[in-house]
Amino acid sequence: MNEPTVFIVDDDQAVARSLRWLIESVRLRVETYASAQAFIDGYDAARSGCLVLDVRMPGMSGIELQERLAAQRIRIPIIFITGHGDVQMAVRAVQAGAFDFIEKPFNDQDLLDRIQRAIARDAEQRDRDQQRARLRTLFASLTPRESEVLDLVVEGLSNKAVANALGLSAKTVEVHRAKVMEKMHARSVSDLVKMAMQRQGWG
Amino acid sequence: MLPASDMLWLALVVLGGSLTAVLIVLGVVLARLRDAERRLDERESRHESMLDRLQENEYRLRTIIESEPECVKLQAEDGTVLEINPAGLRLVDANQPADIIGRKIFSVVAPEYVDIYRENMRRVFAGEAMVYEFRAITLKNRVAWMETHAAPLRDARGNIYALLGITRDITEHKQAEEQARRHQTELARVARLSTMGEMATGIAHELNQPLSAIANFSRGCIRRLRSGGMSPVELIEPLEEVCEQAERAGDILRHVRDFVRKSEPHLKPMDVNQIVRAVVKFTEHEARQQRTLVRLNLDPLLPKVAADAIMIEQVMVNLVRNAIEAMSEANSSRREITISSRLFETDFVEIEIVDTGPGIDGSLIDQVFDQFFTTKPEGVGMGLAISRSIIESHGGTVRAESSRDGGAILRFTLTINTQQSSRRERADSIHS
Repeated sequence: MNEPTVFIVDDDQAVARSLRWLIESVRLRVETYASAQAFIDGYDAARSGCLVLDVRMPGMSGIELQERLAAQRIRIPIIFITGHGDVQMAVRAVQAGAFDFIEKPFNDQDLLDRIQRAIARDAEQRDRDQQRARLRTLFASLTPRESEVLDLVVEGLSNKAVANALGLSAKTVEVHRAKVMEKMHARSVSDLVKMAMQRQGWG
Repeated sequence: MLPASDMLWLALVVLGGSLTAVLIVLGVVLARLRDAERRLDERESRHESMLDRLQENEYRLRTIIESEPECVKLQAEDGTVLEINPAGLRLVDANQPADIIGRKIFSVVAPEYVDIYRENMRRVFAGEAMVYEFRAITLKNRVAWMETHAAPLRDARGNIYALLGITRDITEHKQAEEQARRHQTELARVARLSTMGEMATGIAHELNQPLSAIANFSRGCIRRLRSGGMSPVELIEPLEEVCEQAERAGDILRHVRDFVRKSEPHLKPMDVNQIVRAVVKFTEHEARQQRTLVRLNLDPLLPKVAADAIMIEQVMVNLVRNAIEAMSEANSSRREITISSRLFETDFVEIEIVDTGPGIDGSLIDQVFDQFFTTKPEGVGMGLAISRSIIESHGGTVRAESSRDGGAILRFTLTINTQQSSRRERADSIHS
């Protein structure tokens, strides 16, 4: 379902159509929107791809759209298309987290390359997000006691040491530990350590 | 016959009587004389007190003038300084009155102002009271700006025998004024530039849209043709788009041209001389500042022209300013502008502006009316181009040439206002 899509937002319909024609030539899926508002109304954040935005637009400007998306924690990469003399505006947009900008008139290959890179970046981000979400679910499936056992195991404590620390029998720790491995889909202690580190990595 | 003794007695009596009479007469005469003397004395003392009062008055006036903080001086018609107060001595850096009294005032007037100063003096001796500014170079070679209020002094018979001048140092004021003016000029230039810059940016942005659409459509076509498997019919639509966008670009350019041309003049019957006088007034300050004399040589019997007064004023202010600037930039010693009006052929009035500046380089004469042509370091090169388009929209022509003695001559014509031929037709026939 989630085939990457290039979302074009440009008030100039001729320019939007020409971009669609150009981008479709590399067999990418393209959708055009005539205004920033139309895009916000129609966009489902689950859809992957990238956004190609004109900096100057009547109504909500490209920069404002960027701010609105950031406020909603939508991280789809944005490529700004700027006219002559808007470079400063574009630089500010990039500093505010835009993926890239390209100045009109641009080389077609240049634009297509940037679009490909933006789509790749979006895919990476989504991958990472998905992994995190999966890990979060896994960790959430543990009982409090299992969590305690997990924390100590990844610190490198032996079953006996864990049993001592928690005031449990070694046998009970053995059972909890097997349960943790199973719930976390971990094949080894080192798998568990990796997952724990990943969780720490994103706080 | 009376006895001798009687005779003697009689003689004595007669004699005595005569003596008495003589004495009486003498007494009366003496009394009269004394009276006259007394009256003379009285008159003399009265006269004396009058003289005293006169002297007192003069002394008082002198004290006022001597202690006056501004320079007060009397000048003869040839410029000789007759009298000057201590403040005046200080103003010209004189140590004693002899340094300046008896000398010509022109010895402290900057050379480039001598002519203007003479002209002003001539007008005061013709009976005019006036105020004039000039640059002075004092006896110690200090340069200062002065302002003089001058009035004619007349004797009992009404003849003007001197110029009474009250002069003050306005250097500081002048510098502040100059700074303010420079600031304003700079602001105006920046405003003009940024308006033009904005317009250019706007046009660039507008044109960029169809141009990038054309590029995108074309590139899309090329890519599809290269990768093959594309039926040519599918390219018709994007190629139609390319054509449309090219037309759109053309429309934008047409729009810009219309916009530039748009300023349609509102023609009314106008007295050209009246416009000239208004322009002289507008540029008076700059002319004075650049020590430029503006002369008028207007034909008073001209028919009215069909003109938009504001636009023609704009053109003339522009031409006069150019002349002032050209002369000041070239540091011309003689700075004069002569504006003339006259009948030209049968249907036109010609206005001519002649300056005494460096003139126009013969090889550039055909370019001066081009857009962006300028010889000024800070110029934009729109002034004469706009002037020409205004004059042409009035159905007139404008020409530039160099005068024989070096200056520049700018001439333009305006059509005489007539009922029969409307300005519109005339303008159109010239445009086409």
